[in-house]
Amino acid sequence: MKNLILGIAAIFLAVPSQAADFNAPLESIIAGYFRPATADFAESAGILPTAVSAICTETTEASVLGFQTAFSKTIRDFSRIQFLRFGPLLEDDRLSRLSFRPDPRGRAQKQIRKLYAAADNSVLSPVSLGKKSVAVQSLTALELIAFDKDAKIVLGNNSDIKDYTCGYALAIAQNVSKIARDTSADWADPHGYSKLLLSAGPDNDRYRTSKEAIEDVFNSLATGITITKDQDILPAMGKSKDKTKPNRFPFSRSGNAVVYLTGELAGINDALSSMDLKPLMSSDDQWTLDTLGFEFKNARNYLDALNPPVRKTFGENGGYNQVAALLITLSSIRELMTQGVAGGLGLAGGFNALDGD
Amino acid sequence: MPLTATEPHTFSRRGFLTALGGIATLPAFSRSPLAESLLERKDGEDAVLFASAYRNSNGDFGVGLLDDYGQILARITLPGRGHGIAVSPDGQRFVAFARRPGTFALFVQPFQDFEPSVIVSEPGRHFYGHGCFSADGRLLYAVENDFGAARGVVGVYDVSGQLPKRIGEFSSYGLGPHDLALTSDGRTLVIANGGIETHPDKGREKLNLAAMAPSIAFVDAQTGDLARQHELDNSLHQLSLRHMALDGKGRAWVGGQYEGPASDVPPLVAVFAPDEAPYMTEMPASFAGKLNNYIGSVTASISGDVIATSAPRGGRTLFWDAGTGGFLGAQVIPDGCGVAPIDQGSFLISDGNGGLSFVNEPDVPAEILARPPGFSWDNHMVAFSQA
Repeated sequence: MKNLILGIAAIFLAVPSQAADFNAPLESIIAGYFRPATADFAESAGILPTAVSAICTETTEASVLGFQTAFSKTIRDFSRIQFLRFGPLLEDDRLSRLSFRPDPRGRAQKQIRKLYAAADNSVLSPVSLGKKSVAVQSLTALELIAFDKDAKIVLGNNSDIKDYTCGYALAIAQNVSKIARDTSADWADPHGYSKLLLSAGPDNDRYRTSKEAIEDVFNSLATGITITKDQDILPAMGKSKDKTKPNRFPFSRSGNAVVYLTGELAGINDALSSMDLKPLMSSDDQWTLDTLGFEFKNARNYLDALNPPVRKTFGENGGYNQVAALLITLSSIRELMTQGVAGGLGLAGGFNALDGD
Repeated sequence: MPLTATEPHTFSRRGFLTALGGIATLPAFSRSPLAESLLERKDGEDAVLFASAYRNSNGDFGVGLLDDYGQILARITLPGRGHGIAVSPDGQRFVAFARRPGTFALFVQPFQDFEPSVIVSEPGRHFYGHGCFSADGRLLYAVENDFGAARGVVGVYDVSGQLPKRIGEFSSYGLGPHDLALTSDGRTLVIANGGIETHPDKGREKLNLAAMAPSIAFVDAQTGDLARQHELDNSLHQLSLRHMALDGKGRAWVGGQYEGPASDVPPLVAVFAPDEAPYMTEMPASFAGKLNNYIGSVTASISGDVIATSAPRGGRTLFWDAGTGGFLGAQVIPDGCGVAPIDQGSFLISDGNGGLSFVNEPDVPAEILARPPGFSWDNHMVAFSQA
């Protein structure tokens, strides 16, 4: 692998008109992060259908725990790749079909109520479910039907909607599993999107230079921080400390909010680290990477200090203060990424900021 | 502090989607899978719609039609990068312009079963990216570059039939006209002449920065005669007057882009009226140097009481009291640029990272309604108003 990277770098460096070459970090993030992280997600999501079937066949301590664990691991591994807003995860609306977020006005909940009211059987098979609104197909929908608002599992409970809920949950789990498998396979494919990222040049319709390719990758990492901060955390903070809305934390209904937020940040940090950008930066700018690493550790510490489930505990034990401090850290991380690292590498930032009119 | 009370506009969504069903078969027009769920909504849930140019993660360009949840209902592919969108007064037609120095504009009747038609600029002209309809909706005015003569013009198109037809042009009374708007009485076109000379042979290169002289021209919409023209003080001659919105009293709020030294801290938002000297707004000192001297778009609330000015290079959108000219507050939205009015006094802000944020109060964090993956919303977003 190392030889291959060096080989590619040598080819590009040999072209005099070629600006800084970013194929090495791209190769590293594909092999060191995109492929293993999507494979992990495929593996955990692959267990979900079995876990749904088990809890629906017989509700035992083991089957309940099995579903809880499978769901939590799927959320964890999904959170680590959700920032990938380009390439295979966008094919066939996969990302929206895995998680319908944000949804501040509760559209998914409303649509699911309608499905139940109409006893709509089209959600009972993965194929016909795949043709429904993305809001009712995803892990966010599974969480809504499998958990009550106090993070208690209701899937498999005896009631007159048990069979419908179980059939619908299984269809979602099978769909999620398939999407995860397809995403992983597409990233693993040497002729797929990874080739597009690594073959920048005049014949590549998408990326003329490796700088353009790494800009896409890097901007999705920076946007990932914006999503965690502005979309996943800020709404839960409410207007003040006594008006918080912890229900707005992602996947808090199933008690997985801290799992999800931790995975989001760890994913972005691991992806960033896998690129080994330091050698590409001047010695004056390299400190930004060290400081970033330090800030990611701080962020992790704030999250570790929370006591799940946050819906119950957010007002206690300084949870609010921990998250308020986390928000400041995330602002710092975003600035370090967009100003420090992207600036140090000479990468372009936002679409509008870069080239407005 | 709420911007004002809210009362949503209504729109016949069902009629829209029914019509779209027929159009969806056309290659240029595709309906989103989400539309299915919207068809299930009751008529009473009809609400305002939005449109914005975008670039998607494949690098393709188009125009997206959105609902008030920020979900994409339909997409229209464009041959190149789009910019501004002019909506007819009855909200039944719109024209999406190419970004300068583009030569196409797309005429769309989204509720009719007609294929979008392409308007190609005249030889010797290119579009600047903005336009507006006449009060009766029969004419379209488009700012254009007569690059051979290095002068700005307003192209006039008859859009009363199925196919738009160019019927004439008049001077914009300045160089680089970028945006224009029609006053509420329908008689006066307000034209923001950015003052920058460009030539398509030199791409987007700015050719006259040392001598630029931006202006706001008030022009008779029927005759094309100049009624009034204002320029800024000579010390601000490098503040390109670019994007514009009319407030409730008909004054033009103009956002500037400064071409002078980056270390300067000029005012960026100015207010113009035919019979008044230009008024330069003041923003709090804490913003000095943080906006990169660049305003991306300017939008008035439906009531015209509040003006929003986005500054994508500073990641902030600023709000102003149209009555007093005072600063109301700002929102931090990374790469936020497109701003459309929603409800009576609120705004929907689109960004280059796909986000669509609802702002009801300038000092409370925006509510992110949606973030369609893979979409980068371009500089401007418009709301479809109802006749």
